[in-house]
Amino acid sequence: MKKLLLVIPGLVIAGPAAAHSVSARFGEIYSGMLHPVTTLVHLVPWIAIGLLAGCLGPKEARRALVGFPASVAAGALVAPMLPELPWVSFVNMCSFIALGGLVVVSRGISSTLFWTCLVVFGVSHGYANNDALLVGWGLARYVLGLTIAAYVVITLVSAVSTQLLGGQGWGRVAIRAVGSWIVAIGVVFSGYTLMAL
Amino acid sequence: MYRDTKRMARISATLALPCFLMVAGSAFAHSESGVTGGLVSGLLHPVLGFDHLVAMVAVGLWGAQLEKPAIWLLPITFPMVMAVGALVGLAGLPMPGVEYGIAASAIVLGAAVASNFKPPLALAAIVVAAFGVFHGHAHGSEIPQAANPLAYGVGFVLSTGLLHLSGILIGVLLKWPWGSFVVRACGVVVAGVGAIALATTTGFLA
Repeated sequence: MKKLLLVIPGLVIAGPAAAHSVSARFGEIYSGMLHPVTTLVHLVPWIAIGLLAGCLGPKEARRALVGFPASVAAGALVAPMLPELPWVSFVNMCSFIALGGLVVVSRGISSTLFWTCLVVFGVSHGYANNDALLVGWGLARYVLGLTIAAYVVITLVSAVSTQLLGGQGWGRVAIRAVGSWIVAIGVVFSGYTLMAL
Repeated sequence: MYRDTKRMARISATLALPCFLMVAGSAFAHSESGVTGGLVSGLLHPVLGFDHLVAMVAVGLWGAQLEKPAIWLLPITFPMVMAVGALVGLAGLPMPGVEYGIAASAIVLGAAVASNFKPPLALAAIVVAAFGVFHGHAHGSEIPQAANPLAYGVGFVLSTGLLHLSGILIGVLLKWPWGSFVVRACGVVVAGVGAIALATTTGFLA
């Protein structure tokens, strides 16, 4: 009975274990990684960029693995130095339709057009993902997480896209169909957002 | 004796409470709200309307019958035009005869599949696109108030696309001689469902 009485206060005053690194200063990294992949506004156009990178062949796709995360990181790092730019959300809305449309076309897209879209939309999505409350190392950890998320998404999607195009003839059909879905989602989302203004 | 009975009743009540708490279902006080609600609601919307469902499958079936390039052109054309219809619905603009249009889409597309009708590609695309506006308007105008519009859009576009894919996959049967008969029979079923939907909408069927 006495032992039991001793155990109860011990349980009551026990603090959290902090076994997971999310509560040990790595929280900003997780926050940066989760923000874009749990927000459809960012995730859907990122998938489109990955599909498009695959459509342009393995060489361009490999370059995009570096180019896209770098563009997103640049946008997120530049954001705190800039005033609030409301038109960036409009650019991100356009990214659905522009990137989805390019995936529908999928053939004969020039490298210049692809890289212009990749850099412009990478920076605009990076800017929109910025967390205004973070500064210094906190911001650096957040941007690191964001960059990892961009790398993971583009790597996985462009790998699937490249694989599909290298196989049966239906691979390109499937990619084009997904492109048309992205355009349709973009039209509904953009229209609804503009109507709500 | 009276005290024992009272004590037993108190113990029974104490034991019954956790049992009720364990078997209690969720309250569903809030329906279709936020991103999850929008996504689920959007995914289910094209599936729950049977006339929607068969018409979408018929688009895939017809594409499979018409072969390349219609097999990819029709399922690509449909969602993009449907999105325009959805916007009209979201804006609250009325479109007369939406339900008639949806029922007619099942009848026309079902009849095209049943008769193995092979028009020029442009005509097939125009027919599919025209019906897409009606389907889109129905999806757009019935978005739940609290649902996230983007998630709802993702849901119904994805669901529609997967239904097209179902039609295309059924169309794989065309590789076999008896498969053509099965696909055409599916067309008859689609047209029949459309006719029932039209009869219900017009009041011929209660």
